[in-house]
Amino acid sequence: MYAWIWHKLPGPFAAKLTLSVVLALGVIALLMFVVFPWLEPRLWFNEVAVN
Amino acid sequence: MATREGPDDGQENTGPRPVDPTPWRRTPASGRRGQSPARPHRPIPPQPAARRYTAPSDNSAEKTQVFAPVGNSAEETQVFAPVKGGTATKERPGPAPLGRGGVAIRTAGELLITMGLIVLLFMVYELYVTDLFSAGKQSEASDQLNGEWSHDRTLHPELVDGRAFARIHIPTFGVDYNFTIQEGTDDVSLEVGPGHYKGTSLPGEPGNFAVAGHRVGKGAPFNDLDNLSSCDQIVIETSTDFYVYKVLPYDDEVDDWTTGKGADPKCKGVSTLRDPNAENGGAYSDTFGRKVVLPSEGTAVNPVPYKPAEVLPKAQQVALLTLTTCHPQFSARQRLIITSVLTQQVPKSQAPNYTDLLPKIGEAR
Repeated sequence: MYAWIWHKLPGPFAAKLTLSVVLALGVIALLMFVVFPWLEPRLWFNEVAVN
Repeated sequence: MATREGPDDGQENTGPRPVDPTPWRRTPASGRRGQSPARPHRPIPPQPAARRYTAPSDNSAEKTQVFAPVGNSAEETQVFAPVKGGTATKERPGPAPLGRGGVAIRTAGELLITMGLIVLLFMVYELYVTDLFSAGKQSEASDQLNGEWSHDRTLHPELVDGRAFARIHIPTFGVDYNFTIQEGTDDVSLEVGPGHYKGTSLPGEPGNFAVAGHRVGKGAPFNDLDNLSSCDQIVIETSTDFYVYKVLPYDDEVDDWTTGKGADPKCKGVSTLRDPNAENGGAYSDTFGRKVVLPSEGTAVNPVPYKPAEVLPKAQQVALLTLTTCHPQFSARQRLIITSVLTQQVPKSQAPNYTDLLPKIGEAR
């Protein structure tokens, strides 16, 4: 999978490296700002109240 | 090259290979990329280590392997050109010589590793990133509360869901420990800071002023709640007053409270709330400074904890403060309940700021 992505990235080594870092950061940002905030309330370990 | 190659190949295991200073330079040229179709037919296959990489075909990709397996190291066949004695030569890995199944297995492995990384990342998010998000919201709420208090000193503030209306200080956790208390215990309120159970009493009122807070992540306001001991002070600040509560006796301290810890001057004003004339200690017989209960124990925030609301008329109810959080840490299996009793009310005319209050309530500045 990662090898395939690496091959698909255009340009010389430096360009590929830069692009892959940018891609990785993008994925992390997507997780941190979109996916995790969405997912979190659906999980159980944030319950602190009695009811 | 071809001339060198012949003898070299013929005695690959025993001959000149080990002494060649740069075997890795030579190997690709000599054997890797289909240089000599004759090679596979040489009498090397009997080597035990050849395994599936020995490909006596014209497939040039596989030819690499043919002269690689030597000696006793089967694993090295793919990337290294092993020589006798185990000296491996480094090569730049060529195209992966994996079959369809190999690729599938590798991809599955990569996916599993990726999922593991995502789970790790989620832990980082829960423990640290939510703290950052909440810190911003908390400081906003705090500023807004200060702004409201500076020009509007109403005795009973209007409670708006998610809006801060009071502030909690716990001197035991440090002078600068403070969080705003929001109305409501939904996710939005708790993300900012501790939240007030709707419908429970307000600070200073008889009954039970109940507050829930996160223990892990989101600023973790109630992270150290289990470090509190009986008689530790909890200060609730409203627009007009400071209300000083003290944690009630723990269950192992109740029996000999008056002679034991209760005699400590720091426990002034703290009683067990037990009624000596009643059979089981009266209405507050189940109230302790610290309790671990099931999440379903909603009675913990009742005006008289763990008792039905009508057990005592409002006028006879003691002013309590109950803090709830999850327990054990990182789990939602149970709830930690800290209950404290109002011992003192200091109007802001006497102590305009929390720092002015601390000496008055016997906490070192």
